[in-house]
Amino acid sequence: MSSSSTLVNASSKATPSAGPSLMAQMALRDISVLFRTPWIIISRSLAFIIQLFVFAALISQLVNVPGLDFFQYYAVGSVVGTVGSIAFIIGYDIFEEAEEGVLDYLLTLPVSRRQFIIGRALGGAVRAMVYATPMFVIVAVLERFTNPLSLAVAFFDLFLLAFGITGLSITMAVSVRSANRFDVVLALTELAIARASTALYPIAYMPVYVAALAPFSPVSFAADSARAALVGSSLDLLSLAGLVAFVVIFLGLGAAFYFRKLEGGVYA
Amino acid sequence: MFDKAGKRFGNVEAVKDFSLAIQDEEILGLLGPNGAGKTTLMLMMGTVYRPTSGSIKVDGFDAVDQPNEVRKLIGIAFQDPRVDGILNAFDVLNWHLKMTTSLGRDKREQRIEEVLKALDLWEARGKRTWLMSGGMKKKVEDAKVLAQRPKVAVFDEPTAFLDVPSRLLVWDMIRKLREEGSTVIVATNMMDEAERLSRTIAIMNRAMLVGTGTSEQLKGTVKGGEVLELKTSSGPKLSPELLTQFKEVHDFRQTEDKILVYLNYGRLLLPKIVEILSGQGFKIESVHLKEVTLEDVFLLYTGQRFE
Repeated sequence: MSSSSTLVNASSKATPSAGPSLMAQMALRDISVLFRTPWIIISRSLAFIIQLFVFAALISQLVNVPGLDFFQYYAVGSVVGTVGSIAFIIGYDIFEEAEEGVLDYLLTLPVSRRQFIIGRALGGAVRAMVYATPMFVIVAVLERFTNPLSLAVAFFDLFLLAFGITGLSITMAVSVRSANRFDVVLALTELAIARASTALYPIAYMPVYVAALAPFSPVSFAADSARAALVGSSLDLLSLAGLVAFVVIFLGLGAAFYFRKLEGGVYA
Repeated sequence: MFDKAGKRFGNVEAVKDFSLAIQDEEILGLLGPNGAGKTTLMLMMGTVYRPTSGSIKVDGFDAVDQPNEVRKLIGIAFQDPRVDGILNAFDVLNWHLKMTTSLGRDKREQRIEEVLKALDLWEARGKRTWLMSGGMKKKVEDAKVLAQRPKVAVFDEPTAFLDVPSRLLVWDMIRKLREEGSTVIVATNMMDEAERLSRTIAIMNRAMLVGTGTSEQLKGTVKGGEVLELKTSSGPKLSPELLTQFKEVHDFRQTEDKILVYLNYGRLLLPKIVEILSGQGFKIESVHLKEVTLEDVFLLYTGQRFE
């Protein structure tokens, strides 16, 4: 068998766009899926409104914490928790893509693996933000959060949380092989991170075993930092630093795991 | 160019020592039964799988060391359609072209329209792909690469699930793609598809390349695979040297009313043999040549029939 010739000539075939543009296209692909099912955003926003005006309103009547407006506490925390939940979805998407073979197709596209991974994480994070923005606006209007800087910091907190959880979700999607195991692991992780956090309840009122974990939850970091910005018009630097560390660690881990997995062959 | 390329998954060797150079602007037919390793080979070429041995080069770029360069040259239409079900056919192609070409919006849309119309999909362009039939989805998958017009176009079973008119449409488009300068690889287990489209055919079996050449060359390797049947009403006993003077004749048999000659290149030899036998007093009533088919070739190389 012969083994010494070039495969194809360099004809006038169209070449792909530049890398950053392709990375943006990867992200837009994930985001556009959300806009193709707007009823999901609408229904979730309605569910959020009901949760806020029924459950939160009711609970805030029952709970009397000195110096704390529980309705406000719950409202901000709900938005943070929602962002966290939505950011987890990218892991399911990636796992499903691998199972259905769509990942094979995506990996043949002319985008580097690094751009591919960042694009996916960015897409997942932006998607979570798009999803949660109507809820964020509702809470801001309701609670009269009008300071632009505070709103910007809170929004940034939400984005960091989404970005970090996207990384965590991707890490898990490429680390767990069995679909059933993946579903269980992701659901438990989501539960632990969201419930063992200060998103919905102050740490002082949590059972000891939950209170021990809550300070380390990225959802707590985001919720505490967002509340400090929106309610106290201040910066909770410790929480912000925790959030940044979470993003760096899990986005880095997710990228490294994904990268190693992909470069070795998806099923290798 | 594949140079002793191999891929191992644990203890399973999916592709072993595969070496083949594909010429520019040709259509290569990659034949093999299911599980032969064709798809793995293509995924290695598309940089999805990293070879565990040997190397793969596309236009001089190494698939392992320069994967991004390779990806810029390649387009793969998968055996099972790999499309987002939530997207419609137009959007699937539009996103694919955004990712794989630098075409502006107008040109992109023009190209999509051309391909969808050629494949009889234009009317269904707004339909979400998960609502499409298997055949329509398959055409959308093919359309991605046909619209992309990559330097190296790879089609894995391009006409699986398609009806006859659709098969002809896809074949026609693949030929046009080659005429426009693409090198095309068509992996198939349909012999007629390989024979109609390809100049060169490579046969894979059990992870290995077991034969390569043009259809005629491959058929020529089936020794005595053709049978020339001559019905005779009268004639003397056949003298062996009359036929064995041709090196292409491997054997013959004479019965009461017929002569069977086992040979190669029967079409070329037929007039000569008829002339010689007639000259020896044989009255030939009819002649029938059973030629070698690609299936015979496949049987020879693999010992199994296509599924």
